[in-house]
Order: sequence, then structure tokens, then C-alpha cells
Amino acid sequence: MSSSSWIPLWLHKLGSPPIFYRFAGVVRPWAMALAIITGAIALYGGLVLAPADYQQGDAYRIIFIHVPSAWMSMFIYGVMGIAAFIALVWRIKLAEVVAMESAPIGAAFTFITLVTGSLWGKPMWGTWWTWDARLTSELVLLFLYLGVIGLYHAFEDRRQGARAAAFLAIIGIINVPIVHFSVNWWNTLHQGSTISIFGHSKMSGAMLWPLLLMMLATKFYYIASLFRRVRTDLLSLESGKDWVRQIAQDEARS
Amino acid sequence: MTEHQASLAPACAAMLRRDLTLAWRRRGDIAMPVLYALIVTMLFPFALGPEDTLLLRIAGGVVLVTVLLAMLLALDAMFSSDIEDGSLEQLVIAPQPLALMLGMKILAHWLTTALPLIVISPLLAAMLHLPVAVIPVLLLALLMATPLLSLLGAVLVALTAGTRRSGMLLALMLLPLCVPAVIFAAGAVAAAQQGLPWFSPIAWLGAALVLAVVLAPMACAAALRIALDA
Repeated sequence: MSSSSWIPLWLHKLGSPPIFYRFAGVVRPWAMALAIITGAIALYGGLVLAPADYQQGDAYRIIFIHVPSAWMSMFIYGVMGIAAFIALVWRIKLAEVVAMESAPIGAAFTFITLVTGSLWGKPMWGTWWTWDARLTSELVLLFLYLGVIGLYHAFEDRRQGARAAAFLAIIGIINVPIVHFSVNWWNTLHQGSTISIFGHSKMSGAMLWPLLLMMLATKFYYIASLFRRVRTDLLSLESGKDWVRQIAQDEARS
Repeated sequence: MTEHQASLAPACAAMLRRDLTLAWRRRGDIAMPVLYALIVTMLFPFALGPEDTLLLRIAGGVVLVTVLLAMLLALDAMFSSDIEDGSLEQLVIAPQPLALMLGMKILAHWLTTALPLIVISPLLAAMLHLPVAVIPVLLLALLMATPLLSLLGAVLVALTAGTRRSGMLLALMLLPLCVPAVIFAAGAVAAAQQGLPWFSPIAWLGAALVLAVVLAPMACAAALRIALDA
């Protein structure tokens, strides 16, 4: 097929469950180790080395968890949407699994973002929750994740559930900018934005590098967590296949 | 080809007539969402106290949310009887485009559930002392927002067509999608109440509605094919 010649062969091979299973098994420990190391360094840099903010004192330090989680909550939704699109168009089993196993991780990051944001909001704004545009968008994002997870589990046939939930994920991708825009409009109608998420005007380098490092750590953690979930899922999805039986026999022998 | 196109309009009309007749045969089901909306609206003054100023402030939002919830209640039944007796599968394999036929079903559903709610919405608004001058804006907002909800809801109902328990799931999936519609509809009513120009949120709703009229039936057809594994 000349139409698919621009895709390298190894990428085709990686789409096959047994090869991806082995690939993920090799990559996962490295990703986890990198996640722990960079996460530890970033936390040390953020909690100990970085100076206290002149306005917010030490309370601002929660951003080293909050902001990377918020980025991840959107990044994972993007990954899920792309995988869902691939799953629906080319019907690749691996893409379905990646999309469906990304959803719980993304929901967890969204939840962490909401909880840390609310913990930070109490001393800073004097309230646990405010109907700010960004907070509301994040909450809607959490419901989108929960909808995808719920729809996936509502079907008895898992591949059918994955396809339906993938469709919902794509609708969600169209919906997210619309919600963000409308919530922005709504908030400015009721009250001007009196509070911005970042109290300080610009970030000093001592605060910035732990933040960026933490962003890297969450990415590595996502890879490690996703690969573990995908491996487990592939084993149960392909439980009747030869390569799974081979793995089971090898493990029984050793 | 021409024969095929000529059969399209009668097919649409037959679809619409069939669904409306079915709904009319079970008139009690049409009254249920209306009763539900009346009861929910009646509970608000009991819960919040009967002061006119408070009720007047929340009236527009309460009516909108009540209508939305009443529609959600009826949404579940959009395709369920057609799936049970197999006529939806017949529709999927019919020569007529599935999206168009589903569009007719959505229209019939809107006519039987949303239109009665719109008709009684002035009564609901009056129960909460919404000023008479604002009621036309409320009706206009509802006329724009309810078809939007029907269309979005139809896509989600189609997605859950293959599952057994879908009531709560449907609410969970519809909530993020209906946030913009609620915001703009309530925004228009609130602006009219404060004497501000209210046309721009209505125009946004109209733009979204045009988009949904074109895209939602196609998405609905695609979702149904996935859910029925056809």
C-alpha cells in the first residue's frame, strides 16, 4: 500500500498487542524511575530551595503540585482524544486500550488539580471554591472524564464500550473550548475577574525550574502508569490468544 | 437516483407522523415532564421562602434548569421502544440516510416533550414572579436552548443504546455538554431582567443551534451504529 508508506514499519509493529506488551514492559520501569527521581528533585527544589513568595508566603508552594496536574489533566485529555480518533477511524485495538486507560489517570490528575486548587484558595481567596472560569472549566473536564469512564463500563462487550466511549471523548474535545469560552463570558457578565490564578506578575528562575521539572515528572509518571494499565488490559482482552498463553506458561515455569 | 430522492420527503413525513402518532397514543407520557416541571418549580418557594424579591431574582434560572431536568427525564425514552421492537435496526438498514431519519425522530421528540414545557414555562415563570416583560425573552431562550438540548441529548442516548442502565449515566454525560446552553439562555434572561441588551446570548444560542442541527443528526447516526454494532 503506497498510501501508508510514510508510516515507518516499527510504528505498525508497535500497534500489535504482543509487541507493545513487551515494549511497554521494557519502558515502564525506566519511566517510573525517572518519574520518582525528577519528582523528588523537583519537590526538593520547590519546597526547600525556592524562596517564599513576597505576597503569598509559603502557601504558593502548592503550585508545584497544582500546575503540573492541571497541565496533565488537559494533556491526557488530548492524548485520549487522539487515541480515540485513531481507534474509531482505523479500528486499532491498542488505540482503544490507550484511550480508555488514559481516562482514569486523567480524571485523577483533574481531581488533584481541583483539590490542591481548593486548598490553595482557602488561605489566598478566603474560600474553598469560587465560580471562576478556570475552576468551572476544570470541573466540567472532570465530568467529561467520568462520563467516558462510565460509558466504557456500561457496555458488556468491552470493545464496543471502548468505541462508544471514544466517540464521547471526541465530542468532549469539541466541547471543551466551547465550555471554556462560554464560562469566560458568563463570569465576566456577573463579575469582573478580580482574582487571577497567578498572584505574582512573573516567576523567578528559582521557582520556575522545579515547576518545569515537576511537569516532566508527571509526564514520566503518566507513561509508567499508562503502560502498566495497558499491559494488564491487553492480557485480559487477548486472554484467549497464543502469546498470552505463552506468557502464562513462561511465568508458571519460572 | 431521482426516484430515490423523491422518496426522501415522504419518508421523512412518514417518520414524523409515526412518532407523533405513537406519542399521541400514550398521551400520559407527554404530561409527565410537564407535571414534573410544575412540581419542581412549586418546591422552590417552599425551600427558599416566599419573598418576592428573592424569587424574582432566581426565576429565570430556576425555570431553565427545571425545563432541562424535565427534558433529561424524557430523553431516556427517545429510542428505547424502537430498540426493543427492532424498528431502529430496520431504520439503520433502510435505503434512506439514517441521519435524516434520526433528525425526524429528534424533531418528533422535541415536539412531544420540549414544546409542552415551553408552553407552560410562562406559568412557571409567573409562579416565581418573573416580570411579564421578560417572559418573551425567556420563551425565545427556551425556543433556542431546548432543540439544542434535544439534539445533544439524542447523540448521547444513541451512544447508550446498547446498554441496559443508562439513566444516571445520561445525566453525567449531558451535564458538561449543556453547560454552554444553560449559561447563554440564563444570561439572556438575566440581561433582559436588568434592562440590558439581551440579543447577543440569544444569537450565540442560535449559532450553536444551527451547528447542532447540521452536525448532531450525523453524530447521532454514527453513535447509533457504534452502539448497535451495525
